[in-house]
Amino acid sequence: MATNPMHQFEVHRIGPEIKIAGIDLSFTNASLFMLLSAITICIVLLLGTQEKKLIPGKLQLIAEMFYNFIAKMISDTAGSKAKPYFPFIFSLFMFVLFCNMLGMLPYSFTVTSHIIVTLIMAIFIFIAVTVIGFLKHGFGYLKLFVPSGVPIVLLPLITVIEIISYLSRPVSLSVRLFANMMAGHTMLKVFGGFVISLGMLGGWLPLGFSVALTGLEILVAFLQAYVFAILTCIYLNDALNLHH
Amino acid sequence: MVDSKDFKTRLKIAKDKFKKHSIITDNNGNSSFMGTAFKLGTELVSAVLVGTIIGFILDTWFDTKPWLIILFFFLGSAAGILNVIKAAKKMQQKN
Repeated sequence: MATNPMHQFEVHRIGPEIKIAGIDLSFTNASLFMLLSAITICIVLLLGTQEKKLIPGKLQLIAEMFYNFIAKMISDTAGSKAKPYFPFIFSLFMFVLFCNMLGMLPYSFTVTSHIIVTLIMAIFIFIAVTVIGFLKHGFGYLKLFVPSGVPIVLLPLITVIEIISYLSRPVSLSVRLFANMMAGHTMLKVFGGFVISLGMLGGWLPLGFSVALTGLEILVAFLQAYVFAILTCIYLNDALNLHH
Repeated sequence: MVDSKDFKTRLKIAKDKFKKHSIITDNNGNSSFMGTAFKLGTELVSAVLVGTIIGFILDTWFDTKPWLIILFFFLGSAAGILNVIKAAKKMQQKN
């Protein structure tokens, strides 16, 4: 049904069915849009860095702005120790941003509106940050769960709470991105449906809302990519510069 | 010489403009209240969710239904409130 607001999130297969060891590895519209966003990122950045002019052109300006933006964000939140992780955070930010922005095009598919995509990214970050923390500090990283100045009686309770709080990081990271994208796109579709069902007489008000919501959604698409990247930096900061 | 002086003043004006502009965008970034509210909400809910799931898994392991799920629900809620306090403290530091 075309008016079903959830219809836009359906994953369907494109091309032949590929099954390897009982796992469905077919190419879907989700994979298509992930590939598209990766290709778009490559095109923008490669074309942008082709001519290295002193006075940058439009594409070069965009590429330099992205670079400066992420470099500043990392040095502000995680300090100079996080410099080696710049490529990872840059790719992460660009991928999420372009997935969100491609999802804003009509008839497209929003990859980040599926919790499995965001959860996998968040779990990968979580595991990576934990491994980095243990590599840098050894078992001293466990001090993160034992805040100083707590009476001995309360210590087991506080430690369990701190561990749950630490484990909730990937969940909150992924749910935030997924829920924002899905809620926004559903809302857009619902208001679009109102325009159709109210027709020429009453459809103008929801049409105005739709236009305003589209602007808001573009803001949210950027903001959520930013929040995703900045939280990764904050978690990285916890792992690199241990202080509690 | 006149030319270079002229360029310097122009550069200064341009830099000042850029600074002003960047301050404005920073303020806009901080004042996205909806984003902030949503962040705090997910922090609270996700910890409760994780706590409850841990309780459920431990319950099935030790066959103690439903005691551990109840205990870990409350521990998760406490962790959620802790998350919110931490996030709020970070926000205050930024401002």
